[in-house]
Amino acid sequence: MNQRRVFITSLTALTLSPWQSTSATPSDAMQAMKAIVGNRPVNTGRIYFELPPLVENGNLVAIKFSVQSPMTQNDYVKAIHIIAEANPLPNVVSCYFTPLSGKAEASTRIRLADSQKVWALAQMSDGSFWRTSVDTVVTLSACTEMI
Amino acid sequence: MSRSSRAVVTLPKTAKRGEVFSIRAIVQHEMESGFRHTEQGVRVPRDIIREFVCTYNGKEVFKADLHPGVGSNPLFIFYAKADQSGTLEFKWTGDNDYLTIVKQAITVL
Repeated sequence: MNQRRVFITSLTALTLSPWQSTSATPSDAMQAMKAIVGNRPVNTGRIYFELPPLVENGNLVAIKFSVQSPMTQNDYVKAIHIIAEANPLPNVVSCYFTPLSGKAEASTRIRLADSQKVWALAQMSDGSFWRTSVDTVVTLSACTEMI
Repeated sequence: MSRSSRAVVTLPKTAKRGEVFSIRAIVQHEMESGFRHTEQGVRVPRDIIREFVCTYNGKEVFKADLHPGVGSNPLFIFYAKADQSGTLEFKWTGDNDYLTIVKQAITVL
């Protein structure tokens, strides 16, 4: 099977199976999230995730993410992971915060290989997980060009 | 012998105690993803920065794990809480013995 076929199949599997179902064939992105989360439940929301809805050049896409948190020793955001469904590697970047960060917010620049859904997954100090996703359209893809 | 490159870190020189200030850290790096091919069809080997750590007087403030999905010349804008006067150390480590360290002093009023 060529890559496009695999991708389409995984997309179909995605729409057919909800996240917490135990049925197999999760896409690579779901597996990447599962590797971080394990068997714990994931809530939706709480993360503010800024990604342009239309990306002209997938080589450099500015993103910003934050979670409202008091950032004290007992209650802070441990990490925010960015996971892209259609990149060759779903894991894009993982940012780890501490109470010394003062604020769980970061900006960086990522590559996107295709129009896709990008996930932000936050891990709190109390062990809970939150996630949110943004759909984006990429006109010029990263990674495909020759050098 | 480790490789290094130019890095620029922007942060305030002084801050009030308890204030949350922003830090902007950029480093010059190709971030060769390992997924690209030359015209002859030869795959270009991966060469990326793997980790970025910011410590404040030896205590970790912010850390990032980088994957090939991070764009070239990785930029991070993040925050730190002013605690005591001292130094902030920024460290980038990566493939092929890549290592860049930048230190900046901060005075807490």
